[in-house]
Amino acid sequence: MRSTRTLQALALLLALPFAACDKVEQPYETVQDGGGSGGGGVVRKVLLEDMTGHRCNNCPAAAAQATALQGIHGENLVVIAVHCVNGFAAPLPPVGDGILDSDHRTPEGTAYESAFGITFLPTGLISRRPFNSVLQISDGDWGDAVNAIIGDSTAFHLWFDALTVGGGSVSTTVKLALLGPVTGDHNLVVALTEDHIIDWQIDVNATPPEVPDYEHRHMLRGNLNGTWGVPAIVGSAAAGDTLTFTYTNPLPGTVLDPDNCALVAYVYDAATKEVMQVEERKFQP
Amino acid sequence: MRSGHPRRLAAIALATAWAAFHIPGTAQQLPEVHGNFSADGQYYNDDPDIGAVPPPQQWGFNAWGNVVMTMGRFQAGLRLESYEPSLLGYPAGTPYKGSGIGYRYINYHQADLDITVGNFFEQFGQGMVFRSYEERYLGVDNAMDGVRVKYRPLPGLYLKGVMGRMRLAFDDGTVKGEGLVRGADAELSISELDSAWSHNWNLILGGSFVSKYQTAASQLVTQPDGSVAQLEMPANVGAWAGRINFTSPRWNVYAEYAYKINDPNRRNNYIYKPGQGLLVNATYSTRGLGISVGAHSYDNMLYQSARNAPTPFDLNINFLPPLTKQHTYNLPATLYPYATQPNGEVSYQGEVFYKFKKGTPLGGKYGTKIALNGSTAVGLDTTGVDLLTDSARTGYRSSLFAGNYDIDGKYFTDLNVELRKRVSETWELALTYLYFEYDIDVIQGKPGKPLVFADMVVLEGLHNFNDRTSLRFEVQHLWTKQDLGNWATAVAELTFSPHWFVAAQDQYNYETFGSTFIKDGKEVPAERTHYPIGSVGYIRGGNRFQVNYGRQRAGIFCVGGVCRQVPAANGLTVSITSTF
Repeated sequence: MRSTRTLQALALLLALPFAACDKVEQPYETVQDGGGSGGGGVVRKVLLEDMTGHRCNNCPAAAAQATALQGIHGENLVVIAVHCVNGFAAPLPPVGDGILDSDHRTPEGTAYESAFGITFLPTGLISRRPFNSVLQISDGDWGDAVNAIIGDSTAFHLWFDALTVGGGSVSTTVKLALLGPVTGDHNLVVALTEDHIIDWQIDVNATPPEVPDYEHRHMLRGNLNGTWGVPAIVGSAAAGDTLTFTYTNPLPGTVLDPDNCALVAYVYDAATKEVMQVEERKFQP
Repeated sequence: MRSGHPRRLAAIALATAWAAFHIPGTAQQLPEVHGNFSADGQYYNDDPDIGAVPPPQQWGFNAWGNVVMTMGRFQAGLRLESYEPSLLGYPAGTPYKGSGIGYRYINYHQADLDITVGNFFEQFGQGMVFRSYEERYLGVDNAMDGVRVKYRPLPGLYLKGVMGRMRLAFDDGTVKGEGLVRGADAELSISELDSAWSHNWNLILGGSFVSKYQTAASQLVTQPDGSVAQLEMPANVGAWAGRINFTSPRWNVYAEYAYKINDPNRRNNYIYKPGQGLLVNATYSTRGLGISVGAHSYDNMLYQSARNAPTPFDLNINFLPPLTKQHTYNLPATLYPYATQPNGEVSYQGEVFYKFKKGTPLGGKYGTKIALNGSTAVGLDTTGVDLLTDSARTGYRSSLFAGNYDIDGKYFTDLNVELRKRVSETWELALTYLYFEYDIDVIQGKPGKPLVFADMVVLEGLHNFNDRTSLRFEVQHLWTKQDLGNWATAVAELTFSPHWFVAAQDQYNYETFGSTFIKDGKEVPAERTHYPIGSVGYIRGGNRFQVNYGRQRAGIFCVGGVCRQVPAANGLTVSITSTF
């Protein structure tokens, strides 16, 4: 009798998880061919901060993932490549041999590395909102994390009202209109990025892995208004308010070609650091 | 509804707690409380010569304390943790920060039944399909949070069932991964089941099944031609394993086979090929002689409870034991340690230990011990399947133990011999020679770097001045023309029993005897760098205090074939451990 009960218990115990096994015979669902999504009205856009480094051998694959997502979401997804973490982003000794000598790090990137606990690469921040309870999001999860935010309704309408580039400086006016009441302190950051930078990169999928002419995308060169920006909303704001921010700054000395630069403005919740809205304006549309 | 008076509510809560721990027949039992505490703080200096960069806080601090209360059949435990901020390079995977509760559980044990609710660690067999464990100093902790039931319905028959989610990170408390892990294990010990079976010989049979659940979201992947595909992900991914273990007074033979169904994930490039692994170990030991041989092969066996886990250290459901020797001497242990390659590896190991008896020509007055060890690990010999044309997305074809023995497939070779001899009443010496071949590209993720060929010699000595004072020293040297070139290390530890010890160590990376060194194919001036460090320690009862000051070079820290990068550092380290 006891052995019968034992066998029943054993069978039940072992059978329980066997029901949990999914075999996928044909995994392909659809193939995306790129192209951005349109859509009118003001919706929430997403900021993807691709934390990267030129000595990070898996980072090119993550950058490709960011590019693929931009192909799907178009202008609703803004990417900034933040070079950080010394072991991955510092120039490779011996400096002077021309190989991986560039230093793409910025004080802002180093501050974000520390503030958001970036210790390994590649990883990313998706509007600085946790996904599956963590802030540092694996590039494999970027798509789902972006989908969880993008296109949501928003109280923040952000746009570049003016942009002037010349004489080694950039001037811009950013406007923030509130479409609904907002509570809590919010800051506005205006960052400057440069696209299409050809320089060294280690790529585990390349042969040889040291790639001399890798195309770096959306590289953060610096902020126009400080690492953490300036207060935009203090305490609360009512629907209908429109705020104006004007800046004139010299172009960072690291910029190689101003024609490839862009400004990225974003508003974030000062308490949670979550980016609530983002907008990009290229110097050359 | 009236709310109760606070005092009354507190009294009710106390009474309830007492009732929970009050077991008939054990009324006289008092609760026992035990625990331990550990804290490591480090003050960082800027040291550009070795690439040491302090964090903005200048300090790193890891601490935790365990408290376990036992009363009769009940046990409850709690661990509080603090990372304010964590030490540089810690943990191995997703960051820890803040302070809070990292582990808590309640356990009830009665006769053949054992139930744990909350956090627990568990392992099925050698862990090929399930191992929840922690290595606190490595920063690996995949503790389960859920329920575990263990039951012994018959003598010799052991059943286990687990369900829960795994620890991913720490942010003022444990952060769990989203994947749900379910598993069951059965083990049958013949000698316990059948009293007629000889107790000197035993046969143990076991089987496990584990399944993880994660929402079946579709996954975007970039194809080799640059196009983007959307893949259907399996929500439930199962794995099973079977094992057999024969033991006798002189023999121990163990074999385990594991199989995993399609598990597309970030680290296998989202292929749907099943995974499998087989390991076999055999040891023979008799007085003065020990022999062990082992072999294993793993193919696509990385098994994490989140398909896009941030790092390979996070949310591992299984553990693939390494075969290579885990060295303890500083240079071989921290410069070129081997880490298991879960997605494709064939490995073999053999070891012989022999003790020449006292009074023989080779044994001398005190006897002589010799240990020979050799191991190798290579990649699998695979044939790629074009992802663009293969609708099943299998990725590649392979067979277990079909290794790639070409030079580009070699991961690791370790040949070492150790001679250990007591030469007098007060002196003991050990001489070790090691030869390594090390694929720094695959093991440490430094693509394009050439295979490292290294020879090492270590002389270790122990001199007892008297019953209370002893000196242990090590002199190590490593020769290689690759990577960082030559190293020399000297270690001296003076112990004043039972309370004090002082130690000094210097690692000297001089690359080459010449003035230039070939680095990455270019001839550059040789660099000479010292890494000195001094330590003082005090031990009393269950308390241990240690202070270190000096340089710590960038390296690899490994436990059980799992390794993390340790960044270069310069500064003061204070460690306290205590048990009660």
